[in-house]
Amino acid sequence: MENVSYVFVAFAIVWAVVFGYILLLLNRQRRLQQEIDLLKQRLEDRKGGD
Amino acid sequence: MKITILLWISLALMVTALYLIFVIAPIERTMGIVQKIFYLMVPMGWLALLSFLVVFIGSILYLKKRSLRWDILSYSSAEVGVIFTTLALVTGSIWAKPAWGVWWTWEPRLTATLVLWLIYLTYFMVRSFATEESRGATFAAIVGIIGFIDIPIIVLATTLWRGLHPGALIFQGGLDPTMLLTLIISLLTFSTLYALILMQRISLKNNEVEIKRMKELSQPFN
Amino acid sequence: MKFWNQVISITWKDTFSEIRTREVISSVLVFTLLVIVIFNFAFGANQETLRLVAPGILWVTFTFTGVLSLNRAFIPEKEQGCLEGLMACPISREAIYVGKMLASLLFMLIIEAIALPVFAFLFNLPVLTLPMVTITILATIGFVAVGTLFSALAINTRAREMVLPILFLPVMVPVIISAVNASKMALSGKPWNELASWIQIIGVFDVIFLVVSCLIFTYAIEE
Repeated sequence: MENVSYVFVAFAIVWAVVFGYILLLLNRQRRLQQEIDLLKQRLEDRKGGD
Repeated sequence: MKITILLWISLALMVTALYLIFVIAPIERTMGIVQKIFYLMVPMGWLALLSFLVVFIGSILYLKKRSLRWDILSYSSAEVGVIFTTLALVTGSIWAKPAWGVWWTWEPRLTATLVLWLIYLTYFMVRSFATEESRGATFAAIVGIIGFIDIPIIVLATTLWRGLHPGALIFQGGLDPTMLLTLIISLLTFSTLYALILMQRISLKNNEVEIKRMKELSQPFN
Repeated sequence: MKFWNQVISITWKDTFSEIRTREVISSVLVFTLLVIVIFNFAFGANQETLRLVAPGILWVTFTFTGVLSLNRAFIPEKEQGCLEGLMACPISREAIYVGKMLASLLFMLIIEAIALPVFAFLFNLPVLTLPMVTITILATIGFVAVGTLFSALAINTRAREMVLPILFLPVMVPVIISAVNASKMALSGKPWNELASWIQIIGVFDVIFLVVSCLIFTYAIEE
């Protein structure tokens, strides 16, 4: 029954990679959103200053 | 809020799939518990094909319509596709060890997957080598089209090359109905997951484009 | 008719400049002979071993030859600014593709026509048979069909010489597998019908990629 470890490793790797990738995407999305907000703010300020 | 609904559906499917795989589906007679890897390996291979099909369609539309939307779709799907192809290779390799005693064997489907993986690596490479970004997108689209058309020929050649064990993946006695159901639910789970990840990747890419546009917009002021 | 006139004039232009400079054929030919000789050292001179690895050596050599000569298909044009002139001509992009493809095919077939007898001589193998010639011609058509497209694409990238092989090799895998296996059978004197399925794969590849490459070639060279 040592073969159980192969099954375990296969499932662990697949789910770890899939969730890791999703988390990575969400994290990058959050940072980009912050940057967009910042840029928007700055553009608004510029417009106001003219 | 489409994404939230999709998220809950995929979570529900995930639990169902795991339950079916480990509790309901019978343990295969000749291969034992290792056969359960099969429920991961087949969806991974399927998703590799599905995502490269999306790359193919997106590439054709990009060349025809020249709209950035289609390039973003192809790019995102290619990235997701490469990840799933990598996972297909990893699970295939973990399957090969107990089944054939080696980590890597030039089994036709495994070989074809490896070639596929290499082709789609070049999809990203040609993009980074291009002198301009729009040109990189065009070149990547060409690779996306040529690569996908090549798939059936690769499969044909590798299958004929290794002529042996044609049904090695499907076991003696065929698939039991519960096994088939488990496989279908598993395929469904990963397909939903693919849609979810693809949508997320596309909106991320859209934001990247948006930021670049805004930076260019704010440039003349500085 | 007009299309073929354009095609022939492009092929002729390339052939003519090749006759004058002898840039591609002579250098690639020397390279090919060197590779064949060096492989000989890698596998030893044992006749039995050589018989086993000969088809592999032959096709690895021809693949390298293909990459090397296809790399030269567009780079000189780009370096001398001829490509802009060619694009400005009232010639369809398909005619440019077919013309360039035929010129590369011609060059590669000349190189192979010289390399195959040398190969037969050095390896003591019956290489010059009808099946072997058929396999070589069909596989070479596959090489230039895809190679011309990728070669045009590569000139507009950084590290041009690297881009072509990186794109070209994985796509050519089915042709290489088929050519090696068909050659193995042909060299051991198997009849045609056993070779048929391999030759069919190469044939299908040729037809599909000639059509597809011709259709999307315009996107590879556009400015």
